[in-house]
Amino acid sequence: MNSTIPTTRKVLSIQSHVIHGYVGNKAATFPLQYRGWDVDVLNTVQFSNHPGYPHFTGFKCSTEELVEIVEKGLVGALGIKYDAVLSGYLPNVQALQKMAEIVRQMCEKDNNVQWVLDPVLGDNGKLYVDAKCVTAYQDILQNSKIFLVTPNQFEMELLVGMPIRSLHDVKRGFELFHEKYPRVTRVVVTSLELSEFSEGNMYVVAGFDSSLSDEIFFYRIPKINATFSGSGDLICALLTDSLLNGHGCTQQSLSQSLGQVLWLVTSILQKTYDLNVADQHPQDSSMNIKDLKLIQCRDILKRDPLPSIGKPETIKI
Amino acid sequence: MPRLLATQSHVVHGYVGNKAATFPLQCLGWDVDCCNSVQFSNHTGYGLDKVFGTITNETDLKELLSGLFDNFPRDYQALLSGYLPNKNSIRCMGTYYAKFKKGNSKMIWLMDPVMGDEGQLYVSEDVIPEYRKIALSPNQLVDIITPNQFELEILYGEEIKTKEHLKKALEKLHRTIPVIIVTSCDCKMFDDQEFIYCVASMKGKTPVVYRVPFIDSYFTGVGDLFSALLLDRVYKILSNPTTTLKFEDQVNNVLNVIQKVLKVTRSYTSGNINAKMGSAAEMKEMELRIVESRDIYETINTNQKDYIYARL
Repeated sequence: MNSTIPTTRKVLSIQSHVIHGYVGNKAATFPLQYRGWDVDVLNTVQFSNHPGYPHFTGFKCSTEELVEIVEKGLVGALGIKYDAVLSGYLPNVQALQKMAEIVRQMCEKDNNVQWVLDPVLGDNGKLYVDAKCVTAYQDILQNSKIFLVTPNQFEMELLVGMPIRSLHDVKRGFELFHEKYPRVTRVVVTSLELSEFSEGNMYVVAGFDSSLSDEIFFYRIPKINATFSGSGDLICALLTDSLLNGHGCTQQSLSQSLGQVLWLVTSILQKTYDLNVADQHPQDSSMNIKDLKLIQCRDILKRDPLPSIGKPETIKI
Repeated sequence: MPRLLATQSHVVHGYVGNKAATFPLQCLGWDVDCCNSVQFSNHTGYGLDKVFGTITNETDLKELLSGLFDNFPRDYQALLSGYLPNKNSIRCMGTYYAKFKKGNSKMIWLMDPVMGDEGQLYVSEDVIPEYRKIALSPNQLVDIITPNQFELEILYGEEIKTKEHLKKALEKLHRTIPVIIVTSCDCKMFDDQEFIYCVASMKGKTPVVYRVPFIDSYFTGVGDLFSALLLDRVYKILSNPTTTLKFEDQVNNVLNVIQKVLKVTRSYTSGNINAKMGSAAEMKEMELRIVESRDIYETINTNQKDYIYARL
């Protein structure tokens, strides 16, 4: 009888929570649920809105609370089997270290659990966590088997300890990353501003899968004249879906998955932009778009099979 | 696009409170802003020794709601309130929700006055006056309430034993609340016990009694899902003066959706559907299949069952 019961993929998502808007868990949960995932949502903070607004209120959860919920509750009392754990913003270095240790053990005890780690440190040259978190993440990446890591440009620079400004730096960066953190299987750098493409108003998303090839691949994407909060969180969640969705028995390659996820994300960003223009926020000349219009993008999120944004370009290591 | 603020509990695993309400409303096109009154690992039906987490204390809740009010005073078309852990958190929610409504008289507030069931309180007694204050406010704060019979009796102030008595109670509460849906009426008041009776009453209209099959198992979260869907359906009526949608059909539709969700949920359980409270393995199987029901929250137009049973 059990064999006829369909199964639903399960993920534990450990990230920040904002009441208004879509970053952290609010950016990850709905897209994952809409694409069929049973999402256990552990909130590491609860804020009224994200700090990109001039004013916000709220609180951070204590390390003890987070540890107890996972260790005693989800793993201990309930014995839940996850297909993936997605970890993002943690409010301090102790919480980061303790939660990482728990997730590491979950993955060790059950080979089926895949760890997707978003090393939330900062953006555009600015740290928004305690500097100690940088070394904490470096330790975690060295000592844990991790399915996928999704830094942005600044976070990648911090993790490998070198500036990344050109395609050549990207190549060197991935090589260094793999040398330093050989237990991390996949890396996607979610947005790269590179000297080669600044003229054409393009940004780059690059990836590397150490289990498959010695090639780095990247997609060039035309910029929309705006900044979006939450787009990195969205990429991370959608990559988790695309790589682990269980459709069919052959796992998709990272480059294939990334091509589809980038189709989704660029479609969502474009629609968000169009809706913001329609809503007319003329004061935002450079358009700092604070909230993704995820709910209005249900038709996009529903697409199956997903188109790809195009063919990746490659660089040999 | 409509946006609503929902203040109720959050569980990491499973589907009650905000976890049961949010996804269905999002599927219906709502931007749902979830203010979590607690964060627990799972709901209390698993057994109290298996629940971990904390309640959002009054200071933090006040901070969150005031932050929202300062930044987005006119962003919401609807407000939803459900389980709140104590007197202070109810008072705090009530204060800020009243402020939101003051700025926009068209805003619709659905309050589920979560206090207990079948004669048993599961909150502290001092919660009662707070809910009564909100529900009976002469300022007509709340647009929709969804009590069970026990909660209705608490708000009304008397035990309700007959249909006539129920009618009187509804009339009295309608002085301050336009829409009242009693989610489970004492079946002794009606003919047999194989069914659940639900009474929906809109001020100035004859209350309608619905009868749905009683499902012999324990599903937590059904009430929270019901409130969420009801808010969506009733909003469509109250926000549009020229609508042709009928209240009694909308309630009937919500009951149809709930039955479908329960059917989906049962299709995922192995054999025995009589979940026992306190058994983690079985409770896990009895979580509502909210995500798997993605495509059934929209209004159903075909093959609907008519659950209307009588008029009061």
